Amino acid sequence: MSNIVEVNNLTVSFVVRGGNLLLFERGGGMADVVNDVSFNVREGETFGLAGETGSGKSVIAWALVGLMKPRSGSIKVLGKEIDFGKKADVTYLRHNIGIVFQDPVGSLNPRLQVKEIIKEGLIAAKTFDRREYDKRIEEVVDLVGLRKSSLEAYPRELSGGEKQRVSLARAIVVPRKMVVLDEPTSSLDVSVQAQVLNTLKELKAKLNLSYFFITHDINVMKYMSDSLGILYYGKLLEVGSTYDVVTNPKHPFTMRLMSNVPGLKRTRLQQEEGRLTEQGSSATGCVYRKICPRVFEKCSNLPPMFDLGSNHLAACFLYDKAS
Amino acid sequence: MAETGAKADLLKVNDLTLDYATVDGRVRVLQNVSMTINKGEIVGVVGESGSGKTTLGLGIIGLLDSPPADIIGGSVTFEGKDLLKLGRSELSQFRGPGIGMVFQESLAALNPVYRTDTQLKESIEVLRRAQNLDLSDGAEQEMMVQILNDLRLDRPEWVLKKYPHELSGGMRQRVSIAMAIVERPKLLILDEVTTGLDVYVQNRILNILKDLNRRTGTAMMFITHDLLVASQISDRLYVMYAGRVMEEGNTDNILNAPAHPYTQKLFAAIPQGFVDSPPLPAPKGEAPDLRKLPTGCKFNPRCPLVMQKCKDIEPPVFETIQGSKVLCWLLEKT
Repeated sequence: MSNIVEVNNLTVSFVVRGGNLLLFERGGGMADVVNDVSFNVREGETFGLAGETGSGKSVIAWALVGLMKPRSGSIKVLGKEIDFGKKADVTYLRHNIGIVFQDPVGSLNPRLQVKEIIKEGLIAAKTFDRREYDKRIEEVVDLVGLRKSSLEAYPRELSGGEKQRVSLARAIVVPRKMVVLDEPTSSLDVSVQAQVLNTLKELKAKLNLSYFFITHDINVMKYMSDSLGILYYGKLLEVGSTYDVVTNPKHPFTMRLMSNVPGLKRTRLQQEEGRLTEQGSSATGCVYRKICPRVFEKCSNLPPMFDLGSNHLAACFLYDKAS
Repeated sequence: MAETGAKADLLKVNDLTLDYATVDGRVRVLQNVSMTINKGEIVGVVGESGSGKTTLGLGIIGLLDSPPADIIGGSVTFEGKDLLKLGRSELSQFRGPGIGMVFQESLAALNPVYRTDTQLKESIEVLRRAQNLDLSDGAEQEMMVQILNDLRLDRPEWVLKKYPHELSGGMRQRVSIAMAIVERPKLLILDEVTTGLDVYVQNRILNILKDLNRRTGTAMMFITHDLLVASQISDRLYVMYAGRVMEEGNTDNILNAPAHPYTQKLFAAIPQGFVDSPPLPAPKGEAPDLRKLPTGCKFNPRCPLVMQKCKDIEPPVFETIQGSKVLCWLLEKT
């Protein structure tokens, strides 16, 4: 299988002054919100990215569609390295990668009808003949499982699940290789979430899409993704096939994460002892060492990714064969 | 630890029926909802958006504004007193030391211009008035540190000096919980308190609540949309849909053998397998529009086992062998 997207040593920074993030101002220091992250998304595969609030998941998503410029590192799409300074390259990126945002209300223009919202995707891409717009919109609405009657509707008239289907339609109205799904179901009820997840899987098979799937719900992640990356404070701590990472987590953070996932068969609460310092990152060495239960001297250095075989990698000195 | 018998009842909601009067007309939000919470028991209330679970919580503690809320019938009895018949000032005596509530959004529930200690002192003041306590400043400080310690917050003295925006989501949620439990309520209503938190922070909070329940015997009503979370913490479950309790019973029984097709569908909709698993058997359609509810059983348009009877007549409560109470014609003994 060839790689649709190759991300190498991606670092994205925000400008900070006095400890506060400044998203729109210049000057001040830089904070790496995504730090030296590498992964590949193979053709027809779903790559899942899990991590807690503020770990930088969405920032990676934004970089993948050119909404955020990397400070260093590279993103290759179908083998072509994207130069974020060149408009043509960013256009190329967006022709191949679409995105569905987390908030279905905020990401749809309330003053446009559904058909106009979807049409904007076509207008931006400039690859379709204007006379084919209506036909294409009808096709895509059918694909994502929306009723024809919703074409005339405004976002406020739609339910949460329908809004996310409109977002999805806009993302795939121009045929794309990959769709970035940033928490696409986290605002939906479980029964509606199940419907949307089913549609996503069907679409992926039908259109041979790849997904870059972000969620903090490990049950959803397991069900959706082939490969899985675990992000913590901007650092990728572990990556591998979803089965390996879920059933045999290697990084202490992943172990802790997986032991806390509630399941239907395991409904007893996992007891955790001691005081709760649930958050904390270390500026030097391993980001997790401040609260890691297995920390040792070596952790004051920055751990590289150790290869554990069968594409399973973990950034943890426990797996350093040299020691 | 749930005792049976009428004496153990702490809260009894009986056939509570409630409308919201809106510009578009009246909407029935709760229909004949009955619920019992025994002393020291944790009861989970689950349902999707619009099922009426938050309204039920607010109705019990008397925080619904009227208008728009209009109570049509039923009673809410707390320790033998019907709360619905009480006036505003009488009712406020029950809040705090009687019934406490923790809201979903900790950022909105906490006053942004008060530090943690000021907020907590407000709650302590309520307790002091209710129980005529004589607390020195030092004792008050000790009490606050103690409660934050109990909630396993790191560096309680530091947290006390912080404003809400300086704390993380998990810390804020625990400060809100601290505000409620410092008043030593007999019943604590928790509305989506773990929603939006990372899994292990969520897990910690559930552990803390369960521990609190064991130590102090505080009864809890745990409202959530997350069936897995509810089943982790609660002794009994109430499953709500369109303002009705569709199924009620022992948590283990419902987990092992959900009786109502809606409960079954809710469980089935939770992804459990890996990527090669079959499609999720999701119920068709979305949460119902309360203004246009179908006749008969309110779940019938989405139910895979629907019968003609379900479309004509709304089912009464049937009891299963295990003692669950279910609103479904399938359980009618013929």
